[in-house]
Amino acid sequence: MKLRLSPQTLQVLDAFLQAPKDWIYGYDISRNTGLKSGTLYPILMRLAERKLLETSWETAEVGKPPRHLYRLTPEGMRFAQEHHLRHAIGRLARVAFSGVNR
Amino acid sequence: MSAPRRLASRLLHEVVRHSSSDSRDWANAMLGELDFIESDWAALLWALGSTSAILKHSVPRGLRACFGKRSNQEEGPMLKHIRRTAAGTLSGVMIAVVVLVGAFGLVRLLFVLYPEPDLKRVQWAELLAVIVVPETIFIVSALALWRKRRSMAVGIVMSAVTLVAHVVVHLTTH
Repeated sequence: MKLRLSPQTLQVLDAFLQAPKDWIYGYDISRNTGLKSGTLYPILMRLAERKLLETSWETAEVGKPPRHLYRLTPEGMRFAQEHHLRHAIGRLARVAFSGVNR
Repeated sequence: MSAPRRLASRLLHEVVRHSSSDSRDWANAMLGELDFIESDWAALLWALGSTSAILKHSVPRGLRACFGKRSNQEEGPMLKHIRRTAAGTLSGVMIAVVVLVGAFGLVRLLFVLYPEPDLKRVQWAELLAVIVVPETIFIVSALALWRKRRSMAVGIVMSAVTLVAHVVVHLTTH
C-alpha cells in the first residue's frame, strides 16, 4: 500500500491515535494538528481512498448542517500504529546516535 | 453575518455546486464545518483552503479523464466548465493569430504589388496594418463576444495584450 507519509500525514494519524475508537470532526483535527483545511483534507481524502479511514455523516440538529466524521478503519489503525512505532524508534535512534557521536 | 463569513459561505456553496460527484461529499463536509469556526477570518481562510483542497482533488482526475484514462466515468460539471473555458480561450487565441498572420501577409503582398521607395511611409504602413488594424479588430470582436462567448473574448484580449507587449519590447530594444 503506497501512501506518501509526509510529516503532516503522520500528524493526522497521530491525532486519530489519541482517541482511536472515537469519531472526529475535520475542524477538530485541524485545531489539534494546526493544519489548514487545504492541507488536512487532501490527506483525509487519500486515507479514505486507501480504506484507512472511514467516514460518516452526523445526524444534523435542526437548523444546522450535517457534519462529516472520521475514524480510522482497523487496517488504518494497524498502519498508523506501525508507522507511529517506526517513527518513534527512528527518533530514539537519532537521539541515541547523536549522544554517542558527541 | 459578517462580510468575510458571508464570502466564505458563498465560496463553499459554489464549490459544492460545481464539484464533481466524487468530490461533492468532501466539499459538503468542509461546508458543514464552517458554522463551527468561531472567527470570521478563520472561516474565510478555511473556505479558501477547502477550495484549494477540492481543486487538488478534482483537477488531476479531470486531466486523467481528458487523456482518456477514465473516459467511462462520470465527468463533473466543474471539469466540463474548465474544458469549455480552455477550448474557448484557445479558439480566441487562434482567431487572433489568424487575423495577425492575414494582416502580415496582406502587407507583404501589397509591398510586392506596389513597391514603395519611401522607407518612412513603408514603416508607418506596416505599423498600421500589422498592429493598429489587428488591435482594433481584436478590441471590437472582444467587446462583441464578451457577453455570449467570454472565454473566446478573453483569448482575443490575451493575444491583443501580448501583441502590444511585443511591440513595446521591440520598440524599446530597437
